[in-house]
Parts: sequence; C-alpha cells; structure tokens
Amino acid sequence: MGESFLLGLSSGSACLVTCGMVLIPYIISGPAGLRRTVIDLSLFMLTRFLIYLALATAVWYFGKAIFSSVFLRTFLTGTLYTVFAIMLVWYSIGRGRRKDCPAAIVKKVDNLRLVPVMLGITNSLGFCPALLLILTKGASQQTLMQSYLAFVMFFLGSSLWFVPLPFAGKLKRKETLELIGTMATGVAGVIFFVKGLTLIIGGLING
Amino acid sequence: MKKVKVILGISWAFIGLVVIIIMFPGSGVFSEKLAGMSFMKINPRLTGGDVAYKTTMQACTLVVHKPVFDGLFGDRKSGFVQVDWRGKVAEKISDTIDFDHDMKPDFFVMINTKNDSVIFTPFNRKVKGIAISTSTSYGWTIRTGLDK
Amino acid sequence: MDKVLTSSINGKSPGKSFLYTLPMFLISFMFISGGRPTFTDPAQTAALLTVFLGMNVLYFLMHYTGKTDKYRAVLFIVFALSLSFTLIKNMIEIRHSMSFSQADLVECKIPFCHLVIPMLILPAAFTKSIIFPGTILGSFASISSMIVLWLLATLVMGRGFCSWGCFYGGWDDGFSRLRKRKLIRKVGDAWKWMPFAVLFMVSLTAALTFIPTYCDWICPFKTVTEFEKVTGVESAAKAAVFISLFAGLVVALPVMTKKRTQCSFLCPLGAISTLSNKITPFVVKIDKGVCTDCMKCADVCPMYAITPEGVRSGSVSMFCSKCGKCVDNCTKNAVHFGIRGVPAGTMKNFSRNLFLFVSFLFMAVFSSGTIIFTLKSFYSLIF
Repeated sequence: MGESFLLGLSSGSACLVTCGMVLIPYIISGPAGLRRTVIDLSLFMLTRFLIYLALATAVWYFGKAIFSSVFLRTFLTGTLYTVFAIMLVWYSIGRGRRKDCPAAIVKKVDNLRLVPVMLGITNSLGFCPALLLILTKGASQQTLMQSYLAFVMFFLGSSLWFVPLPFAGKLKRKETLELIGTMATGVAGVIFFVKGLTLIIGGLING
Repeated sequence: MKKVKVILGISWAFIGLVVIIIMFPGSGVFSEKLAGMSFMKINPRLTGGDVAYKTTMQACTLVVHKPVFDGLFGDRKSGFVQVDWRGKVAEKISDTIDFDHDMKPDFFVMINTKNDSVIFTPFNRKVKGIAISTSTSYGWTIRTGLDK
Repeated sequence: MDKVLTSSINGKSPGKSFLYTLPMFLISFMFISGGRPTFTDPAQTAALLTVFLGMNVLYFLMHYTGKTDKYRAVLFIVFALSLSFTLIKNMIEIRHSMSFSQADLVECKIPFCHLVIPMLILPAAFTKSIIFPGTILGSFASISSMIVLWLLATLVMGRGFCSWGCFYGGWDDGFSRLRKRKLIRKVGDAWKWMPFAVLFMVSLTAALTFIPTYCDWICPFKTVTEFEKVTGVESAAKAAVFISLFAGLVVALPVMTKKRTQCSFLCPLGAISTLSNKITPFVVKIDKGVCTDCMKCADVCPMYAITPEGVRSGSVSMFCSKCGKCVDNCTKNAVHFGIRGVPAGTMKNFSRNLFLFVSFLFMAVFSSGTIIFTLKSFYSLIF
C-alpha cells in the first residue's frame, strides 16, 4: 500500500504541472473567499475519489478474468509495470508529455458549479502513466478490498499536491519545486521499471 | 550593520574552528550522549523484537521473541516472529513453538543445519511461511511471517 | 621544482608556509596518534609516520603554492581508495567474501555510513527508532559516532563535507581528473536538482518499507565496498543496478564531463548538505571588482555550482562543495574563499587560511585511520 501512496505522491507532482495550468487560475479567479475555495477543492477531490473507487472496482473484475494463473499474474503485471514505468519516465523527462491537461476542456463549461466536478472527472480519467500503473496494480490484487486500498492510497498520495494549490502563487521557487517533483516522478518510474523487470524474470524462472 | 555582519561571520567561523578541534577528542562523549537519546535504538523489524521467553535445552537455549508488527503509523497487518537457538546447535533442530504462550502450538519446524533445508508446519492460521532461516554467530535463527 | 611549485597570487614564502603548517603539524599528530603514540610495531609506526608527514607536506604545499584543489584531491582520492581496501580486506578475512549474508542483517552487523542518514529521519520521527541493521555505539562505523561526525562537520563546512570528508567522493573526483579535455561539454544544468528528487523518494520509500532504500537498491559504492549476497532475482537486480550506476555515474560520466556526476546527480546526502550551505560560515565568493567574466570558474566547477548568470551577478550557488578548483583556476584572484557576512574581495587570505585549517584538519584526522591501516598492510607485506 505504501507503493500506491508513493506512486500517487510522485505522479501528483507531474499532474500538477500540467493540470495546474487550468486548476490554479480557476481556483484563484473564482468568487472571493476561503469558503468558496475550500468547497470547490472539496468537490474536485470528492469527484476524483469516487472515480478512483469506480476504476478500482472495474479493473479488479477485469483482472480476475485476465490474471487467471499465478504465472500470468506475475508475468503480465511485470510486463505492464515495465511498459508503463518507461512511459512514466518519458513523461517526466518531458519530451513526450502533453502540455495541455485534459481538464482544459472545462474552460468551455458555462455552469460554474459544475466546473470542480468536471475538473475532477477529467483529472482522474487523464490516464497518465502513473494511473496506468495503479490500474495494473489494482487488477493484480487478490481481493477487491486490496484494489480499493491501492486506489485510496494513490488518491491520498496524489491529493497532497492539490491541497496547497490556492497558495501556490505565493510560493517562491515554484519552478524548482515543480522540476524536483517531475524528477521524482521519473525516479518512481524507474522503481516500477525495475520492479516490473524483476516480476517478469521471476515469473519466467519460476514458470 | 555591515560591521555587525562581519563580526558575526568571523565569530561563526571561529566557532566552527573550535567545533572541529573538539570534535575528534570529544566524539566519544558526543556519541554516547546521542546514543542515549530515545530514538537511538534499532527498529524491532531489524533486531527481531524483544525476547518473550527462553527455554534452556540440553546444549542450547531456545529464545522466542515477541511478534513484531511495527509500522510507520502504528502496527502493520503483517509482521513476523523470530526464534533463536543459541549455543551448540545440533545438526537437526526440531521444535514445536508456541510464541504467544497460549498453551497451543503455533508451528512446528525442523531444520537441517548442514544443508539449510527446512520443514515447516503451521498450526495457527495467522502463521505464514518461513521468511528467514540462517545460521548466526550464536547458533541459528528463523523468522516466520505472521498476520495480525 | 620551481615550475611545479610556482606560487600563485595566494602563495607564501617557505618560512611563512612552514609557520602556517606548524599548528596543523602539532594538532594533527596529537589526534592521529590518539595522544599516546606507541612505536612498538614497525609497520604501524612506518605507516603512521608516512601518513602524518605526507599530510603535512600536502598542507604545506597548499600554503606555499597557493593552490588548494590538487593537493586536497590527493588526500581525498587516497582516502576513498584506502577505505575500499580496508573494508574489502576486513570482509574477506572475516567472511571470505565481499557480500554480507542474512545472518549479518539479522545480527545487525552492517557498518554504518553517512549516506544512510537522510533515510533515518522520517522513521526516527514517527517510530523513535533507527531503521538500519547496525550497532548504535561501540563498534567500527557505529551509527552514533558516524552521525555525530557528519553533523558537526556539515554544520561547519556545509557541502564542503562532500569535498573534504566524504570517503566515497574521491572515486568520482579521481575519475573526473583522468582526461585533460571534456568529451561531453554540456550537460543540462537542471540535473543538479536530481539529488533532491532522489532524497524525496528514498526518504519516503525508506519510511514506508523500513529499509534504507538508497543502500538497498541504489548506492553505486556497493561495487567497491560490500553488498547483499546474490541469491535470487531481486538481489541480482540490485547488483545490476548498483554496478551500472557505478560504471555510469562514478566512472564513465566523470571521465567524459570532468564533473563529479554521482555527487551532483544522485547523492541524497548531497542534497541535505547543499541546504546546509545556507548556514555555514565558510563560502566561496566572487569579487566583481576584479572579475572579468571569463567563465573559467564555471567551466571547471565539478559540482555545477557556478553558472554564467551567477558569475555575472557575483554569486556562487548553494551547490558549492568548496573544493577550491574555481579558486585555483581564477587568474585574477576574483574567486576566493570567504566568510559569510564579510564582503567579497576582502579578507581573502585570512578566510582561506582559516577555512583550509578547519577543513584540512577534519579530512586529515577523519581519513588517517583507514590510510594508516592500508599502508600498514602494504608495509607488512614488504617488511
């Protein structure tokens, strides 16, 4: 579960860099007052949480169907980890990373009350490499509760980055922190890459 | 203000000089003071935990440790229990262990210390397999996985 | 001899250099011999005297020639090589192998090194315990003594510990000096922030798993010290990782870039030491009054601490490890050792002398044990 939290924590930073371009202006340009900001942020987080729970359920049942044997469970999981980890490292290096967060589509929404909800939906369904990794993890869990736990820990890890969002403008050396966060994403990718390789080789050796 | 900064800077530099000079002769004292602090003990997940009880046998002593579930924010769901055989360890060790002292055996273990082979039979459903089985300078040690 | 020992602007006369060396001579002898020298063992005596005299000759040369870095590097590199020799020799004598076994982990017999320190902080704060299988006190490289030495040295020297104390730094420092010219001229400046990302990740993973992750998976210096026995896929993967990192970051990249890439791009302790540079009394400064913006200092700096923007604004960044390379290469004496609060361009000699005494004394005493042991082993073979 620590792994899921860590993945959330490391991916949230990269997510913030891209999605922050839409989220920050929306949150700080909304109606004045801390109360409104807290409500908007809470709606955003709640939507993400519910989407993650739905994904955890769907992906676990999918995994039950696909990962029928221990060999497939380790070998396939390892392969997916390796592929998505490479994507996560590439994502953090920045050459292949989309500059526009999918949440940008929300700019076109008229009803302001819907905006945090829409942002939550688009952010959680962004299918960045970190989310692909946690989907793989959720699919390979033994029980549904374990899949939920993995996604909850991922949600908690990634949410930590959004909490100080309203104060982000006041932070000095924001770009440096974003750079470190992005590099941390790359390091997380490397961790999962090695983990994935170990699972593949272990799966092949043990049959 | 400039003069104050200069004086403070030079004073700090001389304090640094004093620190470096007393560091080596004083390292024994400083280390002992640091070692006495409450956080300066090795985590039970690495030491094997406190000793629960000992049983003196013919040539060696059976030492059963308390189960370890330590985590960052409290106990974790899974942990282990460590059992040591200290002293002159026979070529074949076999014992039934009751680590929680509830008069019910928790697991049986038979170890061939020559070829490191282990036969392990859990009786308690919280007991998982052998995590570590190794010879040590004091005899032999095993750690078995446990669920809380 | 004159050509080799040409004085720079900072050089002193032989008499003055000897006077400056005298306090080091006396104090270092006291510390290295432990205050009560015994000369019963000829090999030990020969090693002690060689090390003591050699160190003081280097210190004398620093004052006489006015150059810091190349003499510092000699001792620094010898320290790194000696430590590996000492550790490997001990391990082979005791365990007949460079690898440690499960028994060593279970019995908490792993020697501690300062690179572990960042990973201990979070678990110590939450669980009031140390997540390293070593001894707290009373053994070789015990946890308490290593923490005390590192903490005090870092408070005084800041990231200077990386160039005057770290017993691994000599490896990539040494390899960075092999070539005359760089093969790779430019590596992105942003990579110097990587150690912070590594620090963040290893601190978190260590706190969550109770395993010092950097030591378990990443540390390249396991290649030249000790490592986990390869018994399966995971331990083989770990071996592949640290060997690759040693080959890449400690050997190949330093040779090609003439920079200390392991220290600049990976070391999590370097990240903490970088932050400590904000509070230490000794700093490297640029005297804009005489600086001609030639950028030689930026070019030679092995730690990416000096940038063209920094030179133009007269500042050296917090990544500086105070190795002295920029100071030695500046033809105008614009880059100099300084003291925090003292304006750049003033008290240059005083600042340099004070810093040299502090840092060299630390390095001399810290390294003496291992170098003496290494030399004694060689002398025992010869005599």
